[in-house]
Amino acid sequence: MKKSHIIAIGMIAIAIGLLISLNGEIDNYSSFSEAELTGDKVTVSGHLSKDKTMNYDPAVDPNYFSFFIKDKSGDERKVVLLAAKPQDFEKSEEIVLTGKMQNGEFIASDMLMKCPSKYKDEEVYIKSKA
Amino acid sequence: MEYIGEHLLPGQIGRFAIVLSFVASLLAVVAYYFATQRRNTEEYTSWRKIGRAGFILHGICVFWIIGTIFYIMTNQFYEYQYVQAHVSEDLDFKYIFSSFWEGQEGSFLLWMFWHVVLGFILIKTAKKWEAPVVAVVASVQVFCGSMILGLYPPFLEDFRIGVNPLLLLRETMDIPLFAQADYVSLIKGKGLNPLLQNYWMTIHPPTLFLGFASTVVPFAYAVAGLWTKEHKAWLKPALPWALFSGAILGLGILMGGAWAYEALSFGGYWAWDPVENMSLVPWIILIAGIHSNLVARSTGYSIRTAYLFYMLTFVLIVYSTFLTRSGLLGETSVHAFVEMGLEAQLTMFLFFYLIGSLFLFFKNYKNIPAPKKEEATGSKEFWIFIGSLVLFFSAILITWSTSLPVFNKIRQVFDPGFEGHVITDPVSHYNKYQLWIGIFVGLLSGVSQYLRFREFNWKSHAPRFTKRVLVSTGIAVALTVLCVQWIDAKAWQYQLLLFCGLFTVITNLDVLFFYTKMNLKAAGASFAHIGFGLMIVGILASGLNKEFISTNSFAQRGLIEGFTEEQYKKNVLLLKDTPLFMSGYEVTYTDDTIVKFNRTYEVNYKKRDKSGKVIEEFNLYPNILYDKSFTKVAASNPSTKRYLNKDIFTHISSLPQAEMDIEFAKAQEDSLKYKAYSSFVGDTVFMKDYFVVLESVDRSPSHPEYQPQEKDLAIGLKLHFQSTKKDFSYDAMPMVVVRDNVLFGFAEEVSELEAKVRLTGETITRLLGDDTKLDFNTFTLKKGQSINYNGNKVLFAGFNPKVNHPDYEAKEGDIAVSALLTVTGKAGDAHQIEPVYLIRGNQPYNLKSEVGPLGLQFRFAGINPADETIKLMVAEKSKTAMQLPFEIAGDVARTDFIVLEAILFPGINFFWLGSLLMLGGMALSMLYRRREKLQTIAHEGAEEAIA
Repeated sequence: MKKSHIIAIGMIAIAIGLLISLNGEIDNYSSFSEAELTGDKVTVSGHLSKDKTMNYDPAVDPNYFSFFIKDKSGDERKVVLLAAKPQDFEKSEEIVLTGKMQNGEFIASDMLMKCPSKYKDEEVYIKSKA
Repeated sequence: MEYIGEHLLPGQIGRFAIVLSFVASLLAVVAYYFATQRRNTEEYTSWRKIGRAGFILHGICVFWIIGTIFYIMTNQFYEYQYVQAHVSEDLDFKYIFSSFWEGQEGSFLLWMFWHVVLGFILIKTAKKWEAPVVAVVASVQVFCGSMILGLYPPFLEDFRIGVNPLLLLRETMDIPLFAQADYVSLIKGKGLNPLLQNYWMTIHPPTLFLGFASTVVPFAYAVAGLWTKEHKAWLKPALPWALFSGAILGLGILMGGAWAYEALSFGGYWAWDPVENMSLVPWIILIAGIHSNLVARSTGYSIRTAYLFYMLTFVLIVYSTFLTRSGLLGETSVHAFVEMGLEAQLTMFLFFYLIGSLFLFFKNYKNIPAPKKEEATGSKEFWIFIGSLVLFFSAILITWSTSLPVFNKIRQVFDPGFEGHVITDPVSHYNKYQLWIGIFVGLLSGVSQYLRFREFNWKSHAPRFTKRVLVSTGIAVALTVLCVQWIDAKAWQYQLLLFCGLFTVITNLDVLFFYTKMNLKAAGASFAHIGFGLMIVGILASGLNKEFISTNSFAQRGLIEGFTEEQYKKNVLLLKDTPLFMSGYEVTYTDDTIVKFNRTYEVNYKKRDKSGKVIEEFNLYPNILYDKSFTKVAASNPSTKRYLNKDIFTHISSLPQAEMDIEFAKAQEDSLKYKAYSSFVGDTVFMKDYFVVLESVDRSPSHPEYQPQEKDLAIGLKLHFQSTKKDFSYDAMPMVVVRDNVLFGFAEEVSELEAKVRLTGETITRLLGDDTKLDFNTFTLKKGQSINYNGNKVLFAGFNPKVNHPDYEAKEGDIAVSALLTVTGKAGDAHQIEPVYLIRGNQPYNLKSEVGPLGLQFRFAGINPADETIKLMVAEKSKTAMQLPFEIAGDVARTDFIVLEAILFPGINFFWLGSLLMLGGMALSMLYRRREKLQTIAHEGAEEAIA
């Protein structure tokens, strides 16, 4: 057997090993109740509850933003993002959060917003008659 | 219906050009196919001629389509859907290119444009490779062209091939507006996304797409090699193209990183975002391909891997296109994705080239020459091969993780309830694996520089090799120890990576200057590898030492119970003109200015030594962009102070809600509870925490938001606010303006006291109101005489020719004089006033004066020159009616602050310098190889001539 074959086979073995170990870092999209149960860092996807209050008062703390999210199973929880409130937050349709449950609140370390695409709105911008 | 104002002709010709370009590319494929198949027959030339004609016609059509779109865009023909979606009246002309490739159709056209340009160059230069190579390029154009066809095949319902960029708006939707014949005059454009109104959007896409497009050339050469079974000959012409592609694609990716870092608020140049990953992966494979190509050319080994890597590069480019344009990545990427219903076509595009490549490769696998004897362990080709495998390995890992959404989607087809997997912490996930790739690549690109191709006498070379490697290792270890003092690399893995980066820098410097003695052929490679090493140092320095300096744990109040994790504390609140200490800097938000939709903030940084002397000072200007209606913040652009050894990056992460959202500001203003006050000039009004002195009335007031116009009637009150709790005072000047019978108020906020003060119509009425209803008594007085009016004594002290009255503005030809009056009230308080009498244009006028506290008004109504008497009119009013009204609201939310994020990136310039050096090295190699190729051609030509 050639050396290069041995090395190639070795690398394939490592690759398979790594890809299997990858499973440890991959999670299902979780829900708030699961996160509460395990206490682990998880990713939850859900929708903003627009009827509930959002709280961001930079004069009190510029790193505290709270709001309510309803996850895919319909469970609604208060979410705290320890960062500034992102622009256009209200417009977001779907929100993907990464973080942990603590004391009944979901503390998010990372947040990704899906905003409605500008291509989707079929509204024609009509000139305003001044 | 006959529509008015539509411009249909450019669209009709353009649509024809789209179809023609598609047909012509098909023709080129077919003709070049036959030219290749019959390359050794007489038919070759005629087939090639047809192929050329087809491709050139295709190219002209593509240019025509692009020209048409630019034409309708620059003329703002909003009846076209693409124009309406990407252009607007207020768009700067310099962004017209950005608008063109903002949409998917435009970016496909940009990609096609580069394919055409490259195809033309190949027709001119590829000689005998022209037929198979341009055939492949043209076949790619067939797929790209189908994306903009916009045809509905008659036999399939609801299935559309491509999206036509020249559709009319009324063809894309059905709304009542189109019932109006003059609808064109009623619509306006949506314009370019403000986030993209940036010069990076002008230069990044064309560079990246040239990079994407250029990968088709090495791919085409590889296919041509397999097709014509000339497994060795294609390697030489493919190499400079591959180097070109590597340099440009690398530059395109780097520009994306620079854009993210410099202009967007991502807070870094690389985020392992799926879109970034999927442009990096083909580049990595291409680099592996270039290395295999080099080995194959020098030794005859690795021809198979060169084939595989070049073909894979292009297939991955298509895969990347598929991922980013199919909307699959929506939940994992910050980039915006658009579903255009092209998924089926993109899948076909991908599978055609994937399966085609694999088929060609394995069909010819046995015929591809490979030396019987295996590479010697001490040979350069062996270790370069290993290095290529490491790169390949890296690409597989990144692709696998990035493709999770694809796997999810596939599984959801069989298991609809499946919610999907996700990587919880992508950045650390990718870093963890790619760290080892960096270590191996660093080591290999150092060590292999001292090895020789086709090593046949390792024993004699070994001592020299060992000596150089040992010396380089020594220097690199010493440098690593030094660097660790600076870079916060605690984990041994990071230290090892740092060592490998430095090792490759040292060895390649050695190779460049001493080993090959500045041999041009090797210089490009050395530069590229030195660049790679520096890049690693830069990544480690800026990544590990990256520090959020916008924290002040003393000034910032704690969060909810139990959360003191400092890493979350990334933002500070800066009150205007109030310095805040953060991480050694004294930071002050000093000013902000609005130009068009752009609001730029000035943030001053100062560093002082122990004695308080300023040793470092600079201003940063982060800005925000409002949307067109000025109601929302559309984008926040950072500003960075660059030093040689570090960057200080700042951006506005938040603003007072009222500054970001006009609706909110209105609601907030409406919720304020104003209380009415009134006072005489010079009197004081006391509040809970402060008092207000009405200092004066200003007839030509100024206010930051007030722009004076002729015929404006403006009144301002100068109010002095003085806190009773702290050492704070402020002079406010609220004002009201009557313009064309409409009243405008300009309030002023006293943020420190959480107060807002405004004037009302009352103030104007009070000061300029009608007083004809008053009951005036007329007196005649001589100088020195006095009268008694309702218990007040009025003394006429004399005339004053120098008129000094707040309402009086001198005009030429005026004859004006004022009467000096001393009014003494019942309580013995004396007041000096000067009512004015003037003759302007033969008309007598008078200007009244008042003694507010006594409730008296005076008019100087006439002079009798004969007996030197004056006519004085006096009236009494209630005192409160003579006070000046104003309104003050308390508990006003502050709007004079910004929330700032500031990050220190040390050593980031190593990253930029390293990556540019790497790409420059590739470019140098490319030029060298090209020259070599041209020389060979000239040489062959000369030989032919002699023969």
